[in-house]
Formats: sequence, structure tokens, C-alpha cells
Amino acid sequence: MKRYSIVRRLIVTVLLTELLAALCVTGIALIYERHSHFRAFDVMLHGRADSLLGAVQDAEDTGDNVMLDGTEISLPREDVYEVRDASGRVLGRSANWSGASQTELQASDGSYFKMQVKDRHYRGLVLHGLRIVDPGDKGGGIPRHVVIVYGAPTKHVWRAVRDAVEFYALASVLLMAITGVLMAWLLSRALAPVRELAAEAAGISVHAWQFNPPEEVRRIRELAPLEQALRSVLERLERAFEQQRRFVSDAAHELKTAVAVTKSSLQLLHMKKRTAEEYEAGLERCHADCARMEEIVLKMLTLARVESAAAGTTAIETASDAAACTRRTAEQFASMAELRNVKVQVTASGPLSVRLSEDDFGLIVSNLLLNALQHSPQQAAVQITVEAAEGGVQLRVVDQGDGINTEALPHVFERFYRDDPSRNRNTGGTGLGLAICRAIVVKAGGTIRIESERGGGAAATVWLPGVGDGRG
Amino acid sequence: MRVLLVEDETRLSENIASALRDGPGFAVDCAEDGETGALLAEDPCYDLIILDLMLPKMDGKSVLKRLRTRGASTPVLILTAQSETGSIIDLLNTGADDYLSKPFDLGELIARAKALIRRGKGAPHPTLKVADLEVNTLEQTVERAGRRIELSPMEYRILEYLIHRPRVVVSKRELLEHLYDYNWEHHSNVIEAHVSNLRRKLDAEAQQPCIETLRGRGYRLVIQREIAG
Repeated sequence: MKRYSIVRRLIVTVLLTELLAALCVTGIALIYERHSHFRAFDVMLHGRADSLLGAVQDAEDTGDNVMLDGTEISLPREDVYEVRDASGRVLGRSANWSGASQTELQASDGSYFKMQVKDRHYRGLVLHGLRIVDPGDKGGGIPRHVVIVYGAPTKHVWRAVRDAVEFYALASVLLMAITGVLMAWLLSRALAPVRELAAEAAGISVHAWQFNPPEEVRRIRELAPLEQALRSVLERLERAFEQQRRFVSDAAHELKTAVAVTKSSLQLLHMKKRTAEEYEAGLERCHADCARMEEIVLKMLTLARVESAAAGTTAIETASDAAACTRRTAEQFASMAELRNVKVQVTASGPLSVRLSEDDFGLIVSNLLLNALQHSPQQAAVQITVEAAEGGVQLRVVDQGDGINTEALPHVFERFYRDDPSRNRNTGGTGLGLAICRAIVVKAGGTIRIESERGGGAAATVWLPGVGDGRG
Repeated sequence: MRVLLVEDETRLSENIASALRDGPGFAVDCAEDGETGALLAEDPCYDLIILDLMLPKMDGKSVLKRLRTRGASTPVLILTAQSETGSIIDLLNTGADDYLSKPFDLGELIARAKALIRRGKGAPHPTLKVADLEVNTLEQTVERAGRRIELSPMEYRILEYLIHRPRVVVSKRELLEHLYDYNWEHHSNVIEAHVSNLRRKLDAEAQQPCIETLRGRGYRLVIQREIAG
């Protein structure tokens, strides 16, 4: 990937634009200067030709002839001219006259033409003049028609034009140089907040989430969206990171405690000589401790699997029959319910498709049912209902237990949260069941809620989108 | 000695209590949540409090803070699953005397518990001596003038408590409070019977009586200056 600099690009763009403008200006200047200089040149040419007309004198002979008196006029030496009378007789010409074509000589009065004298460019003028030669004291005199062809080199005009254009070009180049330097300096100053923002962002780590860009950065309209985006991303990251850290810390606590239980059970057994019965009972307890540790590990792995799946792909094509799955899961808990003397009533009829794998739906049912059974008193009943609702499927598990504290309700879906003050005596539970349920339901695009009143039992309601439902 | 154990994990609590009862022969009371723990901890009858940090209702640190704010000087051993140095420093500064990280060794827990109780009573060495009487709290053996004396567990516990508090009159009530947990029926005549047996065994071949009875007040270990010197 090729890196490029915005500053450099900007400067190049501006300079190119300036160059284009300079070329235009120079071009226009060239045209204008050429036009105005040639106008002045033409006036001058006309004037010089006119002065030649004045030099046409009566010839000192008998006829009515006229002649050109070169001594009376002073003209630049490089100019060329020829004066003829109406009949075409040459009255006089400059020393360096190299002749002109017939077309030029017959051109109408006041017309200009190009000519070359000794390989030099000249501009010529044809002037038809009327000269009153030899006027008497009483007026009169003989009018004489003369044709004056006058040429002057254009070298000086072109030089003047070139000088003017050169001035414009130089001024433009100077302007471009100043613009380039000024822009580089101004842009580097203007981009300082970007560097500050980058430095501030670079200072962020998992140990220090502070992101406080200087006030200057927040005032810049172009940087404000970037700063806002960074801030919100950081907040989300920090929350996610904090959640992960809490989970790891909670998981470590749970596992360490579970290991502590197992270890202490074994050490207790080893502390003194015991009878065979005592050893047997102790081993049984160790076995139970291990089983509990196993349950915690399994549930943690399940939660990790469900949550990582939620972050990745959701298998949309998977579908299972919620009703059949619920009945099957309830049957698995039949012996446990019997042991606790709790009646489980399942109301689930007809195939009700949900967009979840059977394993995942089974996990929801088993976790909710396990919770309900653990919190049910003897002789109580747990009711499970599965029905179609709002374009999806609703699962409801209601128990007749003590319900949940109102202050505990917002936390029941948190991992490792247990409302039970004695977490492990009769009811057990890892505090992960409801977190697993929620992770699965969220993944499937459904909703889960738990309502309760102290003494009135708890009711868990899960809604899941059905197959073919557009939502989620 | 009597220990208060505040631990919400029931199985762990059972195991620690069994170990403390079976091993050094402590009386152990268990609390399963922070509130109960904090309430019980204020009772001066405890020689040691073993406190878990993550507790329902009130966390271990709050229990400790409340205990120390109310001026109780009972040694506190913290059980923690956290191992960050920062939180441990914080706990010790709050008033904890020692800590153990889960999962811990039961033997280490017992040793630390004994050490804390010893220090709490101003006896740094595990072998306590008063006059010609010597009690080894590690081996749980008693010798008087070099002669080994076999005692029943209860008799030993009474002697151990008395020898931790030489020169002080210990009432029957105090003995009851420090040697029995809440599950026992409290009868002061049980103490009387045990003290009588203890005295008989200790004084069997000695001229001087070892335990003095102060009528209506309690018992005291006799310190014989001429021998002690």
C-alpha cells in the first residue's frame, strides 16, 4: 500500500492550479501586450510615413516634377521606405530598400503588410498622400499624388512584448513559490491538532482508558466526528473489556472456590486415621465436589460457546420443533422432579418451529426448568407452556417457589449472580444458567424476561422468532 | 479456642470447620453471609475470625471494616480467591491480620490460625511455659517438671486457654464461651468437672497446686516465682 501525504497533495493541487492560472494570465498578457504595442507601432509607422510626405519637394527642374528631399527628415536608419508618384516613378527610397512586391505597392491606402528586409521581419505601411507642391504666395500650387511605402523592423515591438510577458511569468513563479512555502507552513500548523489527537489516542491502553484530547481538537469541525467516533468506540471497548475482565475474575473465583472445596475435602480425609465407613463417606463427598466443579466448567464452556457463536454467524437455516423439544427435556427431569416431589405440567401441542438448534432450545428449557425445580417447595407444581405468539413461539416456565427479590431482578441474568444467600446447600446452581439462556435467546433475536413477586413464585417468559420470520 | 468462620460456600465451610475441630480442637461457629458474620464477629468470645471476601448481603471487606471501626481486636484471617497484590495490601491496611488464597492447604490454614491466636494473646512461641508447666500447642502435649501428662481433648483445651492468659482470672463463663460453639448446651458444671480432672492430673506428683480457684470469679494458673526464677 502506497502512502501519501494529504499536505503534499494539497500543495501540489494548489500549485498546479496556480500554474494553470499563471499560464492563462501570461497568455492573455501576451495577446494584450502584442495588440497594444502593435497599435502604438502602427501609429508611429503612420507618423513616420507622414513625415516622408512632408519631405516631398518640388524638384528644381523645369517640369512639374517632385522629388524627395532626404535631407529634411531624420528617420531611424534601419527603416525602409520608397516614395513614388502617381505614375509609379520612384521619387526616392531609403538606402537599404530591398524592394517590395507589386501587390504591396498597389495596396490601398493605410493597409499594413509584412515584409522581410535582409532576413529581418519588417512591418510595412502603404500610404497614399496628396502633396501640394510649390504653393505660391497667393495660394494654389500643384497637387501631387504620391504613394509612400514605409517599413520598420518589428524586433523592438516583439522585445517589448516579451519583456512584459516575462514580467508576468516571473511574478507568477514568485507567487507560486511564496504560496508553496506558506501553504506548507500553514498546513503543518493546521494539522497539529491531528497529531495531538493521534498522540492522545496512542496513549490509550487496556490499563488506561482515558481519552482526553485537547480542547483545540474538539473545536475543529473536521476533527470533531473523528474524536466523537474514537470516544464512542473506546467507551464500547472499555465496557466490553470490563465485562470480560469481570467474567474472568468471576470465573477464577468460582473455579478457585470449587478447587478449594475439593482440595479441602481430600485433605480433611487425610488429616487423621479414619474408619472404612468414614473414608467411604468422605470419598463420596469428594466425588460430589468434583461433579460440581465439572458442572461449573461445563456451563462456563457452554456460555463461552453460545456467546462466541452470537458474535459470529447465526445459523438461520437451523430449525427445531419447540413443542417436541420441550416435552423431551421435561421427561429428562421427571426423576429429579419426583425426587423433590414437584409436579411438572407441560402444555405443548403441535409442531412449533423455532429458528434454533434443538440443543440450544433444549438448554433454555432445561436451565429454566432446573431453576424452577430448585426453587419449588415440596408438593408444588411447575408449569411449562409452549405456544405460538406474535409471529414466533413463546415459552413460559412458572413455579410456585419464593420468587425473586425485586432488588435482585435486574441482576438475575448476570453471570455467577445468585440470589440465594446460601448458594450451594439445597438448591445448588452455578449462577450461569440464566446467563446461558439469555445468550442463546439474544443470539436467536428473541426476548427473555423474568417476573416475580415474593411468595408468588417466578415466571420466566421467552419469546423466539419462528421460522420464516423476518425479524432478528 | 473458638473460631468464627464466615464462608458462603457450604461445602468449604463444612470442611474448614471439621479440620479446625479435628485438628487443633477449636470450637467453630459458621456464618453463611456477611450480615450474620458481622453480627457474630462483634462477640468477644472469638479468638479468631476466618473471613471469606465474596459473601452475600455484605462483602468480607465491609465486615472487616465494620469490625475494626467498632474497635474489636480479634485477629482476622482473610480467605480470598483474588491474588492481586493491590487488593491484598488494601485488605491488610483495612485491618486484616493475614490472608490465604484459594485454593489453600488445610494444614497451612490451621497453622496460620494457630499462629494468629498465639500472637493475639501475646505468645509468639508455639510452646508455652508457665513455671514448671510446659504446653506444646503443635504436638498438643503437656509436661510438668519434665514429666509427660496425658489429658483428654477438653482438658487440654482448658489448659491451653488458661496458659495463653497467665496471671489473669478466667471465669467459667469465659471458658464456656471460648471452648464451645453455639451447638453445645452450656453448663458450667461441665467446666467444673473438666477442671477438677485437669487439676488432679497436673498435681499428681507435685507439691504446689497448678490451678487456683477463686470462688465466684474463676480459675487462674499459679505462677511459682521461686521455681520460675
